[in-house]
Amino acid sequence: MDDIRRVGVIGAGVMGAGIAAHIANAGVPVLLLDVAAEGTDGRDAVARAAIRTLQKADPAPFMHPDFARLVSPGTVEDDLDRLGRCDWIVEAVPERLEIKRALYRRIERVRRPGSVVSSNTSTLPLAALTEGQSAAFAADFLVTHFFNPPRYMRLLELVGGPDTRPDAAEAVRRFADRRLGKTVVECRDRPGFIANRLGVFWLQCALAEAFALGLEVEEADAVLGKPWGIPKTGVFGLLDLVGIDLVPQVGASLAAALPPGDPFHALPRDMPLIARMVAEGRTGRKGAGGFYRLNRAGGGKVKEAIALATGAYRPGRAPDLDSLAEAGGDLRALLGHPDKGGRYAWRVMGRTLAYAASLVPEVADDPAAVDEAMRLGYNWSEGPFALIDRLGAGWLAERLETEGWPVPPLLGRAAALGGIYREEAGSRRVLGADGGYRDATRPDGVLSLADVKRAGTPVLRNPSAALWDVGDGVACFEFTTKMNTIDPDTLALLGKAVGAVQEGFRALVIHNEGKDFSAGANLGLALFAANIAAWGEIAAMVEQGQRTYRALKYAPFPVVGAPSGLALGGGCEILLHCDAVQAHAETYMGLVECGVGLIPAWGGCTAMLARRAAAGRPQGPMPPVIRAFETIGAAKVAKSAAEARDLGFLGPDDGITMNRDRLLADAKAKALELARDYAPPAITPLTLPGPAGRIALDMAARQLARRGLATAHDLVVAGALAEVLSGGGADHTRPVEEEAVLALERAHFLALIRHPATLARIEHVLETGKPLRN
Amino acid sequence: MPTYTAPLRDMRFVLYDLHGGGRLARLPGCEECTPEVIDAVLAEAARLCEEVLFPLNRAGDEEGCRLADGAVATPKGFREAYRLVREGGWTALACDPAFGGQGLPHAVKVLVDEMMCSANLAFALTPGLSFGAYAALYAHGSEALKARWLPPLVDGRWTGTMCLTEPHCGTDLGLLRTRAVPQGDGSYRVSGTKIFISAGEHDLAENIVHLVLARLPGAPTGVKGISLFLVPKLLVGEDGRPGARNGVSCGAIEHKMGLCASPTCLLNFDGAAGWLVGEPHKGLRAMFAMMNLERLAVGIQGLGLAEAAYRNAAAYARERLQGRAPSGAKCPDKPADPIIVHPDVRRMLLTQRAIVEGGRALAVWTALALDDHARHPDSDRRREAGDLAALLTPVAKALLTDLGFEAANLGMQVFGGHGYIRDHGMEHYVRDARVTQIYEGTNGIQALDLVGRKLPAHGGRLLRGFFHPVAAYLDATAENAVLAEFTRPLAKAFARLQQATAHIARAGLKNPDEAAAAAADYLHLFGLVALAYLWTRMAEIARTKAEDDGFHRAKIGTARFFMDRMLPRTAALSAAILAGGRSVTGFDEGDF
Repeated sequence: MDDIRRVGVIGAGVMGAGIAAHIANAGVPVLLLDVAAEGTDGRDAVARAAIRTLQKADPAPFMHPDFARLVSPGTVEDDLDRLGRCDWIVEAVPERLEIKRALYRRIERVRRPGSVVSSNTSTLPLAALTEGQSAAFAADFLVTHFFNPPRYMRLLELVGGPDTRPDAAEAVRRFADRRLGKTVVECRDRPGFIANRLGVFWLQCALAEAFALGLEVEEADAVLGKPWGIPKTGVFGLLDLVGIDLVPQVGASLAAALPPGDPFHALPRDMPLIARMVAEGRTGRKGAGGFYRLNRAGGGKVKEAIALATGAYRPGRAPDLDSLAEAGGDLRALLGHPDKGGRYAWRVMGRTLAYAASLVPEVADDPAAVDEAMRLGYNWSEGPFALIDRLGAGWLAERLETEGWPVPPLLGRAAALGGIYREEAGSRRVLGADGGYRDATRPDGVLSLADVKRAGTPVLRNPSAALWDVGDGVACFEFTTKMNTIDPDTLALLGKAVGAVQEGFRALVIHNEGKDFSAGANLGLALFAANIAAWGEIAAMVEQGQRTYRALKYAPFPVVGAPSGLALGGGCEILLHCDAVQAHAETYMGLVECGVGLIPAWGGCTAMLARRAAAGRPQGPMPPVIRAFETIGAAKVAKSAAEARDLGFLGPDDGITMNRDRLLADAKAKALELARDYAPPAITPLTLPGPAGRIALDMAARQLARRGLATAHDLVVAGALAEVLSGGGADHTRPVEEEAVLALERAHFLALIRHPATLARIEHVLETGKPLRN
Repeated sequence: MPTYTAPLRDMRFVLYDLHGGGRLARLPGCEECTPEVIDAVLAEAARLCEEVLFPLNRAGDEEGCRLADGAVATPKGFREAYRLVREGGWTALACDPAFGGQGLPHAVKVLVDEMMCSANLAFALTPGLSFGAYAALYAHGSEALKARWLPPLVDGRWTGTMCLTEPHCGTDLGLLRTRAVPQGDGSYRVSGTKIFISAGEHDLAENIVHLVLARLPGAPTGVKGISLFLVPKLLVGEDGRPGARNGVSCGAIEHKMGLCASPTCLLNFDGAAGWLVGEPHKGLRAMFAMMNLERLAVGIQGLGLAEAAYRNAAAYARERLQGRAPSGAKCPDKPADPIIVHPDVRRMLLTQRAIVEGGRALAVWTALALDDHARHPDSDRRREAGDLAALLTPVAKALLTDLGFEAANLGMQVFGGHGYIRDHGMEHYVRDARVTQIYEGTNGIQALDLVGRKLPAHGGRLLRGFFHPVAAYLDATAENAVLAEFTRPLAKAFARLQQATAHIARAGLKNPDEAAAAAADYLHLFGLVALAYLWTRMAEIARTKAEDDGFHRAKIGTARFFMDRMLPRTAALSAAILAGGRSVTGFDEGDF
């Protein structure tokens, strides 16, 4: 079957609208249908309102405002026949069997033969959905279960029925993987599929035990959060996010669908406090507060939490449990601790992990699929089987036996063999339901740095970075610091890498598999150096950064940056010095130095001037300077790779990869393409306006200050930035060499970092994570 | 017999010429603190110390304290001296006028304290601890507690103590066991044993106010479960008069190496009535309000003893005739030259002098930071001053007591055999000085405080108050050829300090043992660079003074000695720090 070129989404609720927006993010036109409205706003008012909500939502469902134009609204009543032009029809209407079945019959009449229909159901079995439908429909039908919000959650559970055409499933799988950037986990047609089957069990168990053991919500969230690599929202914070009203609904529907012997039935589901909260509209963040709330009464902002025993709000308090303090990161110590935190951890996580082990092979043959589903669907940093290995499968099995709980066969086998996962000859193997280990596989065309690292040794390495051989003559430079910040060691190794690549490779990719590409220069180091007046060291670090990034830019081989997540400050500047960037769609680039009272001084100002000049129209020297001034001065951060194009951080030739797992392969391909007949860029001087331009920029900054949009120190920083971007004493009739602008960057950076207001900003952002407006 | 003359000239130089102390009168609440007033206070304190306290020092040491029937008798003359101290208003010097104090700044108090420590440290401990108790109660007590207990503490009718240590619990207060049980009427019954309580029982005042750390029922374990209580020796009636005996008794007094005239008591609390100071379980915080002041005060003790030892050693070296100068007789008319002709004797005297005058400059700098922190009208300046005081406090405590002991010991050395016997009083200074390195947080603890807490706090922000002025000063004087003999070694030592600081910050982040292994050396490196900075500035100022009676010449000469002969210690210290901790931490415990 052909590619999917046009998609229809039926149901403009939170999920349907979010799915439509994300399909638009892939550049694919979408038809979004909902019921016709009565009234004067037009019959398609429901779908149109949904699109408007999408445009305003935060975090944004669209990667760029322009993508909204790809979503056309319509009604099921009037526009159903337009589905005839769609290659894929996604149904996201309420979870009622009869509604869905009736809709399918209407779809069947209008859809193009060979088009694929899928349901976004999270609770209904596929078998029930296709019952009574035509054979042709059943052959083209599957379940595609997205997670909320669809743009950001990387998991897609895909369920095919016995009659589903393999190529129909394959077309959707391929589209979801490559165009939507999802990790597709194929599931059996079992209740809750994988992620919710385990996730809802975990939530229900965590709720019930918190009541039973008398924990405070902060304590429960702290015990179930950080130690396990689970988001710090834990369980109560998570329920506030997803909506507390869903607890009884989801629990009931799962219970109705699960076989009688399932351990889920043993969990208490009758919780008076939950019922009361739902009745009072306290459904979480969408309602009038949840387990937590921000009390703004009296003009203040007080974080409050519910006392589980009484249901009344009280001021939030930091958890103070010996189990947490004493266990540190040791999970066994936490599970073995006698206090209520330790008992809670065991009763929730012990049972959840055992339940996970019992689900293989019922929901999947491969434990790795379960881990993937929990990582990407619940944002756990490790799945349950990786956690079992962290605890020790043998230890866990023994503890379960001691407590008189059944040990699932898979766990027993893992205990005997030494774990779920193992490494053999540099490759990762996983224990299957059949009791044997097999290679953990990656989808076709995925190149993982983790696999490269497991199989080999680095070409170069120091405490802050490493250089890897990723095959075909391409090297990969990886940051290895916390938050992938850049420090003198990173720069030193990068300098060495330029030499090493020249000797033994054709091209270089800069990439890592951290959550964020780089948070920028190590500000803690810079602040400490400034506090001890180590101006010489700071000057050397600035100079080293400029020198190294320039060496990268003018190296005789192509360099491709491959970022995902944050690429801020010095982490953005390194990308500005690459020949090309292949960015993950979820890349957040920004030159944020001004926010901490500094200016970009690793060539960021110079590079932005050059880019803006190259892209701009020949209208004198000012336009590129003004645009760079606005972008850098306001410390703008692009909220996607698409937005980074608008801001000039990415150029027209830079590529965007939707699927994070495919980023390295795409970047490598790009690097090899560039390597074919590579010549380093020519050194081009810049035409800058000099003092006249500086005056114009200063006036703009002062105007912002008059409107209350810039603080006193903002003006100091803007003044320095204006001086650099206008070229100091430059004169627009004589082009300025890059070196001269770099010297200005250095001089003004070194002046700003001595300023107490700058130091106060850096300290504040390091201690609170928030900017200081001084 | 030793003699004592207060070093008022140098005190004025440090306070006014070096640190611009004339500006104290511009601080809110200090308006009356003009140089005229301060000079008069210092002169009066000098008279008291020279004429009343100093003459009791030797005899008090010989006689010691006696415990009989739970009562402690202080040496002869101490009661009368205390009466004079109290009546002179010296106990009220730096206290809030709202409670009967005189409201003088810390910068003046440290100079008065220094004189009292030089004259008679064993005596000075009692009013010193009263001030500590005052400070804790003043910062954390309820208004009712303050109204009742502060005025008699301020006017010296009653004295105060700090009861922290227990037989099994010294540095680690988390282990403490003393209990406090609420009585339902707002009072508590405190039970437990406290040891090493200075002035825990004596006959100088009619009542004693003990501040006691104890645990409430069900309190968390460790330091998070400690509360502070006020427990008087005698219960006080509604009329404010002391009456019946509370359940506190002195079970023993310690036999010590020095400070024999100061009673160091074992106190038994048997259901003694007490009142909570500050919040439950926050006792340690309340205690630290006073502990930081006490730490600077202990540094001053080291300084005071060093001053006394130096003056007496210098006088002795000028008089004692013995042998001839290495380069030939200097006083051929006499049977022998005075020993001051010997370079080695001069080395010892100049070392003492450099310690004393540099240490005084450091102490007053720290005290001024405390004053700015408490009183400066600009909130940024208050915070910066607080940062600097927090940074300098452990340095002042440990450096001034380590160097103070060194100076006292050198004083004994200059006297030779006559220093070792008791008659000349030089061994007395050594014995008294030794404990200052131990109590109020051993100097090892001070070093850990510096590297473990002060250094990493707020990304190194506390360091800024020291490093930035020094760097700016070096920038400003870079072209000054006349000062180069001072600024060059200062710049070199400062660079060493920067390097060592960055090294410890980096290494300590990865492995706290590394920072701990370097801590003591680092504190001395820091302290010596601080002294070098102060000495350079003192030399610069002394050069500009036209009048010359030898004072400014001696100042420059001492500065030169410090730079040439003491500052090079920083080379060894920085080498030791950069060598890392592996030789220390890697040594097998069984092989000790």
